[in-house]
Amino acid sequence: MGPIVEVGNLHKFFRRGSEQIDVLKGLNLEVPEGEFLALMGPSGSGKTTLLNLIAGLDTPSRGTIRVGDQLISTMGEGKLAAWRTRHVGFVFQFYHLLPVLTAYENVELPLLLLPLSAAQRKQQVTTALELVGLTDRMRHRPGQLSGGQQQRVGIARAIVTDPTILVADEPTGDLDAHSAEDILNLLVALQKSLQKTIVMVTHDPRAAARAARILHLDKGRLVRETGPDSAESLFQRAVQPD
Amino acid sequence: MFESTLRSLDERIMAFLDSPWNVVLAALGLFALVLLYAWAPYVRLVVKSMRRNPLRTLLTGSATFLLVMVITMIWSVLWLLDLVTAERSRDFKAIVTERWQIPSQMPFSYERILEDGGATRRGDVKPQNVMSWQFYGGTLDPKKSRENLVFFFALDPAKVLTMMDEFRDLNEDEHLEMQKMVRAVQEDKRRIVLGRDCLKRINKRVGERISLFSINYQGIDLDDCEIIGTLPEGRLTLFGLMHRDRLNNALDAYERKNGSPHPLAKKSLNLVWLQIPDTETYGKLAEQIANSPSFADPAVKVETASSGISSFLDAYRDMLWGVRWLLVPAILATLSMVIATAISISVRERRIEMAVLKVLGFGPTRILFMVLAEAAFIGLVSGALSAGGAYLYINKAMGGLRLPIAFFPPFRIPLEALWWGPTLGILTALVGSIFPAWSARSVRVSQVFSKLA
Ligand SMILES: Nc1ncnc2c1ncn2[C@@H]1O[C@H](COP(=O)(O)OP(=O)(O)O)[C@@H](O)[C@H]1O
Ligand SMILES: [Mg+2]
Repeated sequence: MGPIVEVGNLHKFFRRGSEQIDVLKGLNLEVPEGEFLALMGPSGSGKTTLLNLIAGLDTPSRGTIRVGDQLISTMGEGKLAAWRTRHVGFVFQFYHLLPVLTAYENVELPLLLLPLSAAQRKQQVTTALELVGLTDRMRHRPGQLSGGQQQRVGIARAIVTDPTILVADEPTGDLDAHSAEDILNLLVALQKSLQKTIVMVTHDPRAAARAARILHLDKGRLVRETGPDSAESLFQRAVQPD
Repeated sequence: MFESTLRSLDERIMAFLDSPWNVVLAALGLFALVLLYAWAPYVRLVVKSMRRNPLRTLLTGSATFLLVMVITMIWSVLWLLDLVTAERSRDFKAIVTERWQIPSQMPFSYERILEDGGATRRGDVKPQNVMSWQFYGGTLDPKKSRENLVFFFALDPAKVLTMMDEFRDLNEDEHLEMQKMVRAVQEDKRRIVLGRDCLKRINKRVGERISLFSINYQGIDLDDCEIIGTLPEGRLTLFGLMHRDRLNNALDAYERKNGSPHPLAKKSLNLVWLQIPDTETYGKLAEQIANSPSFADPAVKVETASSGISSFLDAYRDMLWGVRWLLVPAILATLSMVIATAISISVRERRIEMAVLKVLGFGPTRILFMVLAEAAFIGLVSGALSAGGAYLYINKAMGGLRLPIAFFPPFRIPLEALWWGPTLGILTALVGSIFPAWSARSVRVSQVFSKLA
């Protein structure tokens, strides 16, 4: 099985006034289909920038990104948007549900962009909410849900279109340890049962430890690769207070 | 009753279908409904977005409501003025008045000559119909106080239904009633018909008899005038109608009694209407009358009804111009700015939300249209409510806008206003929301979610 994500010599720089900031400096990366990959690194190392590029939210300054059979690094804004609808599920740190919509309507949102009948939409939304275990809360608004529940809605919204890859930027960053554990269990379960490819940014070693592979990013470069059972991971898990 | 309602509804529908524009508009409306249904989830999204800040939505809506209402009223007045000043080129009326003097006072004999169009040669044309107007003011009070004053038009009853526009659109019952009154006045010249408000003002009832003491014809008092009915609703509601013979006979009697004619005996004709088939005839008639030696003393002038009103409205021309080209655009600009402000605030508040929608795959154009749709929706609803409200309130509750412009009856809001309102609402909302919508469209996801933002 070939890689589902392939990144070659990826550069990204931002301009701030006259100053140019090199955020990503020539990254190479492959993610096999069905893998749960974690990206770690200090704050400001470029994790979010990399994730956004893989998710097609931004275009690289140089280099190539291929996801599935599509070269997304050369697509324009409108084309990328259409591509995202079908191929990317995005999970945010702060959930970012629309406060005026119910859980059901939030999950339905991406489906509005696809040529589906009302009945088909209903079917898919219900399935997604079942997968995250929230069928009893679908008429609730985000304000009436706990953080953990909101993140489940966020995950349901991300998987409802059955995307090629699931990307998550610090999905447990705003949750207490218990809810975080729940969400990680859910992600692992989705990856196992649906063979979803997941790319997750985190700086929580315990979260990263649930992934199959951990890539460490520093100052815009990939510096190291570890497995969940590496000595480093075991050590980090051991010293982490509960 | 029910049947006649049905029939009038049917007539309205047929009249509606007569104009191709109406059919096109109706088709567009249907199409919009179909789209609305197809986009139901979007519509829901847009409507729900507005619920986020109900107060702001309400304020924006109210501002739109008020300003659209002001414009609806202004346009209703301008619309009517345009309508009456627009020249009709077929079947219109010309007005003959004294040339050099206001009020115009012509000898009654002019009416006979005008019936022939002042024709002197073969090939000269005649008007299709002629109607004489004489103004008689009288009060019920021998001391001639102004309280119980009634203004009468003394005219030929036979012309009331053939020449007067206000009685053209009567329904069947009103028409029969009017015919009956005309016949009654022809049978007994002492009979009079009064407008409803006039009757109310002098506190009399149909069937009562009154005596009139003239205020403009010294000594021509008219006894024993029997009120036989009221005029249908309309602009004559403060006036009365009497047989012209009543006035003319009284003037003759005055001469027999006093040995000399009444000072106004040869000045009792105030104006004459000519019914004209087309502009060509009008041109010929105007020339015949201008050249006729019969109208030498006093000289007369011929105008079309609209040119008479036009020259009257000349006094207001600058003001009307200002209203049309300065005030209305200023109001529209204000309205757009109000909407622009409200929509920009709400877009700025929802920057993150717009970015989230983009992440989910909503393209820039779609986001642009969602913002435009939200504004247009507020505009449409408030505009429709505003025009509908103005239509119902001003026409039904207030009985029209009473403005001191000339002798105009209260201005009614035309049915057309029901589409001006929503259209205005939508257009100003769209203009106002173009910039905010564009900025929502250009929200950069990576910026919103980076630590910088
Ligand atoms: N849109 C942007 N414009 C300018 N600088 C940016 C932008 N996005 C990110 N950066 C900069 O790039 C660097 C990496 O940011 P980010 O990828 O968010 O780091 P993190 O690893 O903490 O997620 C930071 O220094 C940040 O200031
Ligand atoms: Mg980050």
